[in-house]
This record gives sequence, structure tokens and C-alpha cells, in this order.
Amino acid sequence: MLKRKFFILTLIVLLLTSLVVGCSSGEVENLNSGGETNTGSNQTASKNEGSVKEEIVDIEVWKTTNGKKGIEKGSPLYDFYVDKLGVGVIHPYVDWNGGTGYLNQLNLKIAAGEMPDLFLPWGGIETDLAKNGAIADLTDLLPEYAPNLWKRVPQKVWDVVKANDPTGKGRIYYVPGFRDYGVQGGLIRKDWLDLLGLEMPTTQEEYVEVLKAFKTKDPNQNGLQDEIPTGGREDARWMDHLFAMYGIAMNEGFPDWDIYDGELTYSAVTPNMRDALQFISKLYAENLLDQETLLNNKKAWDGKINSGLVGNYFHFTWSVGNRLADIEKAFGVKGDISVLPLPKVPGYEGFYSYKPTLDPKWVVKNNQDEKKLMATLKLLNNYADESRWPDLYFGVEGMHHVVKDGKRVRLPDDYSTMQNDNVLIPYDDIGTLEYKSELLMDAASEDTMWFMEQNVRDLRDIQQHVKAIAGDGMPGSVYEDYPDIRSASLYVEYATKIIIGQYPIEKFDEFVERWNKSGGEEVTQKARNWYQNLGK
Amino acid sequence: MSMSWNEKLFQVVIITILCLLSFVAIVPVLSVIATSFSSRLPVDMNQVTIWPIGFTFASWEYMIYRPDLWKSFGITLVTTIVGTFLSLLITAMMAYPLAKKEFMLGKVLMIAAVITLVLKAPLVPYFLTLRGYGLYNNVLVLIFPHILMAFNLIIMRTFFKQFPAELEEAAVVEGCGYFRLLFKIVLPLSKAVLATLGLFYGVLIWNQFQHPVMFLQNPDLFPLQLKIRQFIVDDSVMPDMNAGVLPNYNEYTLRATTILFAIVPVVAVYPYIQKYFVKGALLGSVKG
Amino acid sequence: MGKLAFNMRKYWPLYVMAFPGTMFFILFKYIPIGGSVIAFQDYSVFKGITGSPWVGFKHFIYLLEYPDFYRVLRNTLIFGFLKVTIMFMVPLILALMINEIRHSLLKKGIQTSLYIPHFLSWVIIAGIAFEMTSLSGLVNTIRDWFGLEPMLFMQMESYFRPMYVLTGLWKDAGWGTIIYLAAISSIDPEIYESAVVDGASRFKQMIHITFPMLLSTAAILFLLDIGNFMELGFEHVYNLLTPMTYSVGDIFDTYVFRTGIQQARYSFATAVGMFQAVVGLTLVIVFNRLSRKVSGGGLW
Repeated sequence: MLKRKFFILTLIVLLLTSLVVGCSSGEVENLNSGGETNTGSNQTASKNEGSVKEEIVDIEVWKTTNGKKGIEKGSPLYDFYVDKLGVGVIHPYVDWNGGTGYLNQLNLKIAAGEMPDLFLPWGGIETDLAKNGAIADLTDLLPEYAPNLWKRVPQKVWDVVKANDPTGKGRIYYVPGFRDYGVQGGLIRKDWLDLLGLEMPTTQEEYVEVLKAFKTKDPNQNGLQDEIPTGGREDARWMDHLFAMYGIAMNEGFPDWDIYDGELTYSAVTPNMRDALQFISKLYAENLLDQETLLNNKKAWDGKINSGLVGNYFHFTWSVGNRLADIEKAFGVKGDISVLPLPKVPGYEGFYSYKPTLDPKWVVKNNQDEKKLMATLKLLNNYADESRWPDLYFGVEGMHHVVKDGKRVRLPDDYSTMQNDNVLIPYDDIGTLEYKSELLMDAASEDTMWFMEQNVRDLRDIQQHVKAIAGDGMPGSVYEDYPDIRSASLYVEYATKIIIGQYPIEKFDEFVERWNKSGGEEVTQKARNWYQNLGK
Repeated sequence: MSMSWNEKLFQVVIITILCLLSFVAIVPVLSVIATSFSSRLPVDMNQVTIWPIGFTFASWEYMIYRPDLWKSFGITLVTTIVGTFLSLLITAMMAYPLAKKEFMLGKVLMIAAVITLVLKAPLVPYFLTLRGYGLYNNVLVLIFPHILMAFNLIIMRTFFKQFPAELEEAAVVEGCGYFRLLFKIVLPLSKAVLATLGLFYGVLIWNQFQHPVMFLQNPDLFPLQLKIRQFIVDDSVMPDMNAGVLPNYNEYTLRATTILFAIVPVVAVYPYIQKYFVKGALLGSVKG
Repeated sequence: MGKLAFNMRKYWPLYVMAFPGTMFFILFKYIPIGGSVIAFQDYSVFKGITGSPWVGFKHFIYLLEYPDFYRVLRNTLIFGFLKVTIMFMVPLILALMINEIRHSLLKKGIQTSLYIPHFLSWVIIAGIAFEMTSLSGLVNTIRDWFGLEPMLFMQMESYFRPMYVLTGLWKDAGWGTIIYLAAISSIDPEIYESAVVDGASRFKQMIHITFPMLLSTAAILFLLDIGNFMELGFEHVYNLLTPMTYSVGDIFDTYVFRTGIQQARYSFATAVGMFQAVVGLTLVIVFNRLSRKVSGGGLW
């Protein structure tokens, strides 16, 4: 009896506590959800020493959170951005989950009538929003209020954006990313080549010989024939180099669009792809391609590379450093991972693909609140000002970087303490090769210089072998109504089976037929129309 | 009475099979534990299987020294206790009438409950509705949506239906009303089912993730799982090249550690629950 | 109507008791379920339910016209079948076995080991499955001892369904024993005592007493499982699936995820969900009738 009374009492106390917590946090919510409430006249004006006390306006910004903490009003990163960019940036933590989580969260917010002021569009959402007048028409706003950004992005890129206008009026509805340099390519253990007395292969034949040597001659010198000459990951991705030899346009392992036979075509249905798949399946059959390629998830494949088993792989040029560091720790060997120039395949022009026009980076809410709209444009303008980029890169002192010997050094990512400085990364969004290289070199210390140098060297070297593909800038709306084509699932199904030998190469023709019938024809037509309208 | 040979054989066979199965079942957990206590390099090279390599507490230190993590832990703890209690209460109060023939709405409500099991509301309307109730950014969203799980409701109702009628009849004769019947007679003797459903609700609330992600924006309100997920980034993120010494943990070791965070409380609590699975918990009162 | 009012007045405590739960269902389930109308619209978050255009059965037709619809349907049905047969029986049998252990500590240890995998996410369990069947994994190592060639099971269609069953059991069979163990503990010990007096061995006791008593619990659980027939655990299949096993592994949930959810096509996703719900509900109704006829008890 008594026990039960006590229990009920405890329960009531707990219930009340949680209610109190809930209510008080409700207040906090009003301050933090940015959006509709305060317009910040009560700012931490102490930061402003200028003669004119500018009013700081808060806007809500959404981008990849990357696991780091959100930016609340009054937090260190918030103050930092106020100081450096003159705008109060509020960015809640948003679950990313490969983009699906983000897209859902965004949709929910929009459904509730609380679209963020400035955000990263995902999944083609900008098309729908533009058609509904939900996002701002930037064509005139940018040149006037964000001239830095306007000038920074080349005119030809703006033309592409105009051509992608879903309303067909040639207006600009999003801020594109822009990267005029390639970043991914085939990479090879040059130290293995040197060890075995081999030259860098220039033809496909030589390449296959090199792979065979990797397999049989034990270049990692551990007495075991455990080397993996080359390989990739599930869905036949991250082995782009094997496709690139045949001139197949690819974007992170997914086929893309380029000019074949004079017309814009999906690379997966070209004769190039047929030959490439035949080649790759041969490699698989001869054990020169990792037998587990199609089962490798990121962890597994990275694990193999990082433990010095792989001779040749395809990935970002600027991250060879990390791998080399691991390999050194494990084997005491200071490896050399160099760029693999594309081995020549008779009858084909090979290239590593890249798309200068990155996905849309920002869309601006069609804000009824004039102040917020202006603040957003001001943010975009300052974000494009190159003189502010070093500050943005290094972030808040003590949180993102420390000062060593008078030089700023970035700290390793710590997601539980760092706030999301990934929001504003203009040096990545719209930066140049030179800038990126400098950043990489700056970050090196004496011990790490030997591999950081390779990052920069490889990044520079790959430029000779990359080509911007024609499908650059194509909007996702060409896939509307054909989600399966967009996700390339039919391709993946056939390609993987052909590679591991479950399907003979003849099945490829069946794939092309099915692809065309299930929407491929329609999508191709739309794509070609888009391409023509680009005025090329 | 000692066991016959047959009985002994029977016992041995059963125990052997179960031990084998237990071992197989536990292998993934060993793998998780091993990863959690391994150094970054072996994990980077994907070498860790069921034994830690380069034993280190680095991941655990990382976790333990985060004050906001403990705050989340507190929130999770409170909401689990409150939520479980509330859920059991409301479920019992709902299941009891449904078990009574004289309750006219019984059939209708049962069908309604089964329908909710099968038909799920789409994401956006669900969000907007609960938001309309004021549950956005409100810690109560961790409790209210889980108050009644149709599955648990049906289990409890089945149990009540099988409750020996004599026990209740005896009380009715003495002038007991329904409320007293439920709280003074039936529930005290339903320890097994209460313990089981309490476990189910408790685990549900403890591990919940969907609702916090959708409804909580204020990081001060994040329950444990969400807080942890915040900084265990998923695979697809591009690594940034930050020089300097990499710490002795990486996302995989941290992830492994967080999984243990989720498991350990349940394993700790379960023995207490097991006490209620004692045979004949029901009896005693008929005789008495 | 008059009968209801009379019933309410006579048995008012029951109605009061049921009130909170009923409110819950209305507020948290049925009102949001109303939002399912978006299955008949081209829903846009910007326009909301009131502003989005009505398209009737467009999405349902799209689903049925999907070239691989029958493949997806077939796979879903097969998995559903496996779930309610093999995977359903195992926890019951395990519970019976666990019940036979006399040694308390051993009993607790085994129970704990068996249910722990329930807490591991599918990502982990699938990851382990992949690793164990990898070239350097346990399975192929054992095959090597017997002089057999290594096989990569996860990319072979013929092994996908067994993998589904095995991993499903691995994760949830242990957890499923909890309910049965709880049910066993409510059985009157007197029945066992009189059986012992009659000379029944433990084995006989298990077969003739415990098992039948558990059947009614099992029946209810079966009905609940049938309702969720089409819901095979998206995470479960998704994490095991590879493109090479799509033809046997692609189910409604994974298909919708690829084309509906990942691309935020809410209307379509809702339509598919509705389709699944209708099938599940039909099955429950049918089996419930059956259960009533056979054992006199059912869900309603």
C-alpha cells in the first residue's frame, strides 16, 4: 500500500519534471528556430567596432551537417560568422543519412510552412519549388546584391543554370557549385612498380601485365600472394578507371552522359560499355580483379587499400595521404601512390570524367521578409569574397584550429565538439585548383609533408587526364517519372552479373533493350532537348 | 526422484544445442565489443574480428568525457521510466475492458487496433498532426506516441482473457467494482505479462530514433540514440584532409561503443525482469 | 443505439478505462492515417493536402504496371511465407527447450546470449553475414578444410533466401522466446505436479502440457504476424541485398525505398503502403475466422 503510494508520488514528480523541461525548452525553441521570430536588434553589438552599427539579421541556413553540431544563436560559430560575414547564421542539426534524412527533414519543414531562408537543395527539390514560386528568382538579385558571387562563377555556368530553369523562362533559381578541376582518378602504387622494375603502363596490354606482376611477384614483400591487383566496390562503383579507358563517362561509379556518335547518350548503353564490361569480366575471371569487388562496402575496400594489399584503385586524389600514413604505420614502408595515366585501348579515347558544374549549392527562399532576403544575399556575397576564405577554412580558434608557432593548424574532426563549419565552404564550392593545393600544403607539418606532397602532386597530375563531360549541369528533372532510370538499378543489375560471369556478355544487348523500353528512350529525348537548348 | 537415462540424455541434448546456438548468437556481439576496444589502425585495415587488436579505451574515454552525452543519457533514462509506466498503465486500462464480454465496444476497438498495426500513416501528415498537438521540439514526444502499441495491447488482452474467472468472481461477490478488480486483483497477479510488456515498451523508448529525428530540433532535448548518431557519421561522407595526428578511434570504433551503450542497460535490467517469470506466479491466491 | 447507451451506463467503469487508450488511437493513429489520402494525389509538400491535385488511382496503376511488379510481389510473398512458418516456429521451440534447463545460471546465460542480437542493428548483422561469408571468412575457411572451393554466397541468388531466414533467426529468435517464457510461467504448476504423479517424463510433460498451453499464445502471435505479412523488415532485406540478388530479394519495401522514399515521392510510397496494408488486413480477417472456427479464440 505504502509502496504504491510512494511509487505514484515518484511518478508524478518525474512527470512534472519532464513537463517543466519540455516547456522551458519550448521557449528556447522560439529563439532558436530562427525563421519567423527575432530580427536581431539586440545583437552582440560589442563585436562591431565600425562607425556604422549595422543591424545583424539572423537567417536559418540548412546544409550537410556532416555529423557536427548545429549552430545556435550565441554559440561560438554563430559569433564567428557574425564577425567575419556580418550575418547571423543559424543552422540546426539535421540528420543526413545519405541525403534521404536531410531531404525528409527539409520536406517536413516546408510542409509546416517553415522553409529555411537559405538551404542546400537535394533530390531535385528545387524544380518543384521553383515551379511553385517558393524560391527566389536570383537572376537580377545576384548581380546587384551579391556581385562577388556573380563574378566568381563563370558566365557559361550561369548559362547552364538558366537553361535548367524548370519554368522555361531562362531565369536563375539556384547557386551552382563550380569546380574547374578534376579530383578523382586511377591511382597506382608506384613504389611497387619501382620495386618490380616496371614502367608505368601506357597501353592496356602493358596494364594487364602489370596487374599480373602485382599478383604473382609479391610486391608488398610479406611472403604471401595476397596482393589484389585492382578492384572496386559494390554496385560496380569506384572502379571507374576500368571504364574510363574506354571513354565511358562516369560520375562516382554511375554512368553519365556524353557525346557518342555525335549525340548526347547515356554511357551505359554505348558499345564502349559493352567492351568495357567484357574486359572487366575477363579481369575478374583471371583473378586480377578483387573477387569480392561486388561485395565490398566502403569499409572493406578501404581496409584492403589501407592495409597495403591493393595495387591500383580509383578514388579522390587528395586523400592518398591518409592511406600512406596507415601503410607506413603497418609496414614501415613509405609508399608512393601516383596517378595512373589511362592505358590506351585500341579504338578508344580514354579519359577520367569530371563535371565542372557541381550540384546546386544553394537556393534562396522567396522571402517575404525583406530584411532576411537582404541578409541572405549579403551572406552569399561575402561568402564569395576570396579574402575571407582563409578565415572560413580555419574556423573558430580553439574549436576548429589552434595556433602553433604563429601558424594556424586545423584540428582533426571531432564531431561531438565541433560545430558545423561545413556550412560555408566556398573554397570547395566555387574554388580553384590552386587554392585547394595551397590549403593542402598549408595543413602539412614536417612529419606529414612526405605524404601531403603526394596529395597535391596527384591532384595536379590528374588534370592532364580529365575531361569535362557533356552531361555536365544536366538537371535531375530529365529523370522525372522514371526513378528507376535515375537510380540506374537496371544497369547495376546487369553490369554486376556480367562482371562476375553469371551472365554472358551477350546479355548486354538485352539490357540496352530493356533500358530503352522502361523509359530510357524518353529520358534520352529529354536530355538531348536540354543539350540543344544550351545553345552549344 | 532421480532422473532416468532418457531424461538425462534429453537434458544433455537440449543443453548442447542451446549452448551452440548461444555461441553463434553471441559472435556478432563479440565483434562489436572487440571493435569498441580496438585501436584505429587495425580497424582502418579491417583486421578486427572477434578479439580486440591494440586494446585501448580511447573510444570509451571519448564517450565518457562528453557532458552533453550524459545529459542525453539522463533524458533517455527519465523518459524511459516515465514512459514505460504510463504505457503499461494505459495499455492495461485499455486491455481489460476489451477482455470483457459485456463491453459492447470490444469488437470494434479490437478491429480498430489491428488496423493500426497494418496501416501506417504517411510521414508528412503524421508530422504535421503531431506538430499541431504541440509536440514539436517538446520532450513529451518521446513518451506520448508510444503510449499504446497495438501489439502489446493485444497480448495483454489475450492474457486478461485467460485470467481465471474464479478469482474475479470471488471478488465480485464481495462487492468489488471493475477498477478495484483490475488494480487490486488482476494486475498484481499479472506480473509476468507486465514485466514482459514493460520490457518491450522500455526497450522501444530507450532505443527510439525516428521520433526524435523528426520532432526534436533543440539539441538539449536529444535522447541518447540521437545524440550519439549525431556524431557517428555514416559512410558516405567525404573525408576531409586534416593533417595532424589522427586520434586513436574512428567512426567504426565509436559506433561500436555506442551500440554497447544501448545494450548494456537492457542486459543489466533483464535479470530483474526474469524474476517475474517464475512459475505459478499466478497462483497462491485461489488457495489462499 | 439505445442498447449502447444502456451498456455504457451499466458498465461505465469499463468505458472510463478504455477512454485514454481510445483517445490515443484517435489522436495518434487515426487522424494521421487520414493523411493517407495523399496516395490519391500528386502530393507536394509545398501545396499541402488541400492544394495538391487529385489523381485517383494513378500511383496504384503505376505500381501494377511496373515491369518487375510480379517479381517484387513474388519475392515479398515468399519471404512472408517463410516468416510465418519457419521463422515463426523457432522461438516457440527454443522457449520449450530453454524451459527445460534446470540450472538457473546457465538458463539465464543462454537466454541473455540468445536475445542480445536483437539490439544490434541490421547493418551490423548483415555486415557480419558478409564478413563471415567473405573469402577470408569463417565459412570459406571451413570449406577449405574440406577441400572445397571458396564461394561468395552473398552474390548468389540461390543462397539469398536461406540467408534471410538465418539472419532473421539470428537476430530475433531469441527475443521472440521472451513472450513464450512469460506465458509458460503462468501455467498452473498443479497440472505439472499431477502429471509427474502419473509418471510422465519431462519430455512428455513438454509435449502434452506446455506445448498445447502455448498454442493459444502462439495463435495470437501468428495472427499478428500475418497482418504484417507484407512488412518483412525493410532494413533486414535492404542490408542483405546486392544487385546480383535483386531478382530474388527485391521486395515492395526496397523497391519503394529506391523509387519512392529516397526521392521523396510521398504519394507513391503511400500508395504502395496502402496496397500492402490491404493485403495484410485481408489475410488477418481470413485467418482470424479460421482461428475462431478451430480454437474458438481469435483477435476478435
